[in-house]
Amino acid sequence: MPDEVLARHAGLGDKEAFAHLARRHGPALYRYVLRLLSDPADAEDCVQEVMLAAWKGLPSFRNDSSIRTWLLVLGRNQAQKLSQRQRPPFPRSGSRPTLDFDAAVAQVRDLRADPESDTIEGRLQIALDAALLLLPERQRSVWILREVEDLSYAEIASVVGLTPTAVRGLLQRARTAIAASLQEWR
Amino acid sequence: MNDINVSGEVHEPASGDAAGSYEVTVVPADTDASAAPRSNAAVRRRPAGDEAVIDDRLSRATALLRQHTDAGWKAIEDNVVARALTLFRPSTPVRGRHDIGDFFLAADVIVARLRRRIDEIPAAAAQKIACTTDDRDELELVTIQLIAAYRAPLLEVAGHVHAAAMDVLGDLLGALAPATDRVRTHVHIGDVSNDPRVVI
Repeated sequence: MPDEVLARHAGLGDKEAFAHLARRHGPALYRYVLRLLSDPADAEDCVQEVMLAAWKGLPSFRNDSSIRTWLLVLGRNQAQKLSQRQRPPFPRSGSRPTLDFDAAVAQVRDLRADPESDTIEGRLQIALDAALLLLPERQRSVWILREVEDLSYAEIASVVGLTPTAVRGLLQRARTAIAASLQEWR
Repeated sequence: MNDINVSGEVHEPASGDAAGSYEVTVVPADTDASAAPRSNAAVRRRPAGDEAVIDDRLSRATALLRQHTDAGWKAIEDNVVARALTLFRPSTPVRGRHDIGDFFLAADVIVARLRRRIDEIPAAAAQKIACTTDDRDELELVTIQLIAAYRAPLLEVAGHVHAAAMDVLGDLLGALAPATDRVRTHVHIGDVSNDPRVVI
């Protein structure tokens, strides 16, 4: 069933329809907010809060954007709220990374209790996560939303609150920085 | 005065860029590259072979991330969904009456029941449903916006929706359900749809 139909049903009180939407978009939402917050416990709290907000907000959802984009907007907003309570919060634009690449790899590995992390693929994924960790939040968001979630520039712009042109510039910088980080990976 | 307004619309059918001989490594800056500290703006030459390796590495890593479902989501999925199923929205109380007295129902319960019933009607789907109550919490107005199938006889559809709504309200509210002769039906046509996933 298409998202628009599920969203309409959920807006009219159909909890099963909402559960379908949650299962359909939960993986992408979690994947995104985990990479914003880095901490699985925070990501879990964030996803729970987003789903609660989505349930409450669906009656007034107007289909101006896709459900997925709307959930990602809610996810980013909630992640920023949680981040403000953390020390340190998201790196500010233009700030130096607080970690070098190897330290970031070690941090990501510590946070992932995943048996697959010992495989080559697992280590490569950790390296990518470490490279993302070194980026300012907006670059990280833009890169994930484009390269992983395949959102259009216009959709990304609505998630991060920028113009599509600014999104394009951020994406370019993020790609360059990630490539530089992965150059260090062995 | 108890009114049921049936309005609605008929819905239209849905039918490696860093490649180059030089690489600039900078401290990430969101909007203004000149804001990056100069000491981090080192320019160094990267052999073409290395570039291909890095591009391949990045492509593989990105593909892995795209296909990956985090263990964390798998761990919380059932909990998130279970919690969703127990959620409720703040909702207006609506007074009903049965043999042993008055009771209250959340308007959301009425909306959900109406939606299920209306979606069973051929060529109709509920788009929005709103309940309005008076100062005694008695149902005063129900507004139902519809999506109707392309070429459906709209007045007939509206009549079926009206009858279904009366039926549901009678079941839920008992003696305080609006009387048939006091119900008005308004039909507003906004659009058309022949997408069976939207309206059957």
